[in-house]
Amino acid sequence: MADTLEPMRITVECYGASQRWCGAELISLELADGATVGDALDHLSERFGELARRRETIAVAIGDGIVPGSRPLDEGERLALIPPVSGG
Amino acid sequence: MTASRLRQGALDPAEWLAKPMPPHCGGLAVFAGTVRNLHEGRAVTGIRYHAHAALAERRLAEIEAEAARRFGVECEVAHGSGELQVGDASVIIVVRAGHRAEAFEACRWAIDTLKQTVPIWKEERYADGEPRFLEGTPIKNIEQT
Repeated sequence: MADTLEPMRITVECYGASQRWCGAELISLELADGATVGDALDHLSERFGELARRRETIAVAIGDGIVPGSRPLDEGERLALIPPVSGG
Repeated sequence: MTASRLRQGALDPAEWLAKPMPPHCGGLAVFAGTVRNLHEGRAVTGIRYHAHAALAERRLAEIEAEAARRFGVECEVAHGSGELQVGDASVIIVVRAGHRAEAFEACRWAIDTLKQTVPIWKEERYADGEPRFLEGTPIKNIEQT
């Protein structure tokens, strides 16, 4: 019998102005098994219009690296929203 | 163990200048960025620097390595995080080089690159209103600069 597709839960850390756009520093998301970074951004964009308007300017990091939208997510993983940077 | 390049609080530039000059070097270029009391006509009382620590540490180290590769210099880079006051140093670039030309060039490249590639955000505090995150630039990889 085929495995049933269990939802997975991930945590999104909002950095910089993305805290304002999403109204929180941490967001818990439930996604279908096999979801990608891009799918997570789709969900967030549906919930947060301010983020959706700036989606093309936002990168996503996992650990100490920037990851592409095609990267599959694992249960329990933490991803970080990296809005336009302004250090210096 | 290498000291962290992302520090809590303001930086003390003297810490980076204390290191002796290597004998083959004849030029020392330093850039220190400090918190200014005015931005677009508004009185600034301080800046809170937010950072993605793991990626910021990695990118700061990569800037040092890339400066060495591109310009043949020794480069050190550090950035402060958390609450800083007007006049505090938030960022420092120190370049030791054979001659002034590559020292200046590498120093300018390092600060310009840092501003485009390191995940740090300024949240300015004002005398007359709510704090605000400054508009930034979409993060790039160092190879794109």
